Amino acid sequence: MTQFNMPTVGEQLRENGISRRAFLKFCGLLASSMALAPSMIPKLAEALEKATRPSVIWLSFQECTGCAESITRAHSPSLEGLIFDTISLDYQHTLQAAAGEAAEQARDEAMQANYGKYVLIVDGSIPLGNAGYSTIAGVSNLDMLKQVAKGAAAIIALGTCAAYGGLPQANPNPTGAVAVADIIKDKPIINVPGCPPIPVVITGVIAHFLAFGLPALDHLGRPKAFYGQNIHDRCYRRPFYERGLFAETFDDEGAKQGWCLYKLGCKGPITYNACATTKWNDGTSFPIESGHGCIGCSEPGFWDFGGLYNPVSLPSSLSSQHVVFATGIGVAAGVAIAALNKQAKQQAKQTREPVNVDQLNREVQL
Amino acid sequence: MSELSLERGINTLKAQIDAPIASFFSSCVSCGMCASACSFYTENPEPRYTPIYKLEPMRRVWEQNFTLLGKLKVKLGIAKPVTDEMLSQWQELVYNTCSLCGRCSLICPVGNDITYMIRKLREGMVASGHVPEGLVGASTRAVKIGSPMGIKLPALQAQVKHIEKATNMQVPFDLEGAEYLLMLSSMEIMNYPEYLEAVGKILTNAGKTWTLSSECFEATNSGIQIGSSDIAKELVSRVVNAAEKLKVKTVISPECGHAYTALRWEGPNLIGRPYSFAAKHIVEVLDELREQGLLPTEGMEDAKLTFHDPCQLVRRGGVVQQPRNLLKLVASNFVEMTDHGTLNWCCGAGGGVSANEDANEVKMKAFQRKKKQLDELKVDTLVTACANCRIQLEEGLEENQMDLPVVGLTELIAEHLVERNTINEESRHD
Repeated sequence: MTQFNMPTVGEQLRENGISRRAFLKFCGLLASSMALAPSMIPKLAEALEKATRPSVIWLSFQECTGCAESITRAHSPSLEGLIFDTISLDYQHTLQAAAGEAAEQARDEAMQANYGKYVLIVDGSIPLGNAGYSTIAGVSNLDMLKQVAKGAAAIIALGTCAAYGGLPQANPNPTGAVAVADIIKDKPIINVPGCPPIPVVITGVIAHFLAFGLPALDHLGRPKAFYGQNIHDRCYRRPFYERGLFAETFDDEGAKQGWCLYKLGCKGPITYNACATTKWNDGTSFPIESGHGCIGCSEPGFWDFGGLYNPVSLPSSLSSQHVVFATGIGVAAGVAIAALNKQAKQQAKQTREPVNVDQLNREVQL
Repeated sequence: MSELSLERGINTLKAQIDAPIASFFSSCVSCGMCASACSFYTENPEPRYTPIYKLEPMRRVWEQNFTLLGKLKVKLGIAKPVTDEMLSQWQELVYNTCSLCGRCSLICPVGNDITYMIRKLREGMVASGHVPEGLVGASTRAVKIGSPMGIKLPALQAQVKHIEKATNMQVPFDLEGAEYLLMLSSMEIMNYPEYLEAVGKILTNAGKTWTLSSECFEATNSGIQIGSSDIAKELVSRVVNAAEKLKVKTVISPECGHAYTALRWEGPNLIGRPYSFAAKHIVEVLDELREQGLLPTEGMEDAKLTFHDPCQLVRRGGVVQQPRNLLKLVASNFVEMTDHGTLNWCCGAGGGVSANEDANEVKMKAFQRKKKQLDELKVDTLVTACANCRIQLEEGLEENQMDLPVVGLTELIAEHLVERNTINEESRHD
């Protein structure tokens, strides 16, 4: 329901000097990146135009602010940035002007005013170890998440830390970090992983939520529209992989020729994200185009894949030292067993009695 | 001296298991290709006739005594022990349905010498007393009388007299310093005396000195067949002693497959030292004479004929080309069987099978494989170079109502020999 003091997204955009043409272009981009049919563009535009400027509460837990950086520093001036202006970002402790008690009061007010309707964005993981590992205004992350999640219409777990635990959860996980979905079980949660996620993916998910509600999710809670494609399948270096042409080091001839980075640890084959198609920095490029393999940042546990530069199919926990030790033990055991067997055989040989033809007719008692 | 017993058998197997056997058992991938290589299996396709399965008692002894897993199984009480019941069941597999022909060893993709292992398993069967009666009898006669068929010297002397009368040829006994000592098989003395005549004619014609030994004329070795190195050693020592006493240069193994294996390959290992003479198969000697130009022949057989390769000659001995060189001298229409040479199928009765009455039925089944090879060719004559093969082939052909004469290669050559007296007479006329 449109209220007097609650302008729609469309109104807000035009107030900020965004033309209808630019808005439709944005809708087209979103529609294509979400693999929607062209006929859906006007519907998306209409839905967004009419959508009430939603209240958003953004909680930052164990994180590095990279995800917020990704959106705010995306490309300036950008529609993604501006659509963010059109949502009512009522609490985001890095961006908001208010501080201290005033900030927490803003959060309480927003929650009360929009109870049951606001969108909760979480970046960062939640420590289950000592509550003191991460607090905001004296409240532990766990308590605050539970409290704010209660009145949320939906939760967007932004970035790999919030979606799957991310860096804080990396082995040995000193803080006992967990993902949002590990704690909240009774609200729809959309995981938007990445370290950080691609800006247009973030705004695309928000736009989809505003226009059509929850998007279709894969088995890891990610919107299929953005995370349905494998980086390796969409990689422009894939033909080199097929032909067995690999860069062996970062400065060899293969690297200069732009051959496949598989042997240099590219995690493209096991990573699902939109990087290879949507790309970064206003569609300029993605990491593999800069000559570095994918690190698999949108996958659960990517820090523990065994090294950014280890190829995916090699056993990464086995060092050459282990192999030497194992071989040594194997050889020693082999020698010991052989010696025992030799002894057994010698004994059998010594105790063997020659057979003579007079003995041959043995009556076997069965 | 203690009786034969299961314990003695298992102890013997332990003593027989060596590094090759351990690696063979470890590397078997259970592919079953040895089954399709064996005529006892192909003509009687029951899983237990798979060659590698015939070795199960030995495999168990190996596993339970020489592998960690096997020892653990024994400790936990889940290892299946080798028992007298098991061995008496396996007697059929180890003796009746294996002719030690070596085709499975040749086919095995990981290179396991299955025949070598069967030969060694028989040592354990002997020591535990699980041996067919026929082979016990043959071995006893071989050791006590001097021939597995019980033939004594007078019988040979009688045959020699016949030959001397018929050919005016001297058949020398105990000629010291002769180049060749000619050994015979009982089968040849009794069933194919024409062999002795043929060899004598060829060697005399080539101007070679040769002799028989009155102390030891029997080349076959029942010890190899029954699988007792003790008996085999006793028998081969007799040949070695006779040859060394007469100071011959070469001992000629007769047209008999396993006699050749016993004398040529197993002999020096059994007595534990190299021979002071060479040991050759008659076909090898004939081919050498041919090379030296000492084997002049005349006339060609026009009949379509083929050659059955004796297993011990081709697969275990490597004598493949020599019989073909010889056949080319005298046959204009020589055709090869499919799978000829090193891959030729066994006649079905080698390795002690022919001496074992328990195997009478199954050896005729195995012959079906040879029949299939022959049916494809439709030849007029079948040539071979092994008296044991020859008996089996003749029996098999008769039982299957196939009218096909079987000829020994040496006799065939002798029939076409141009005798030196004739040459000399001819040259005198010129």
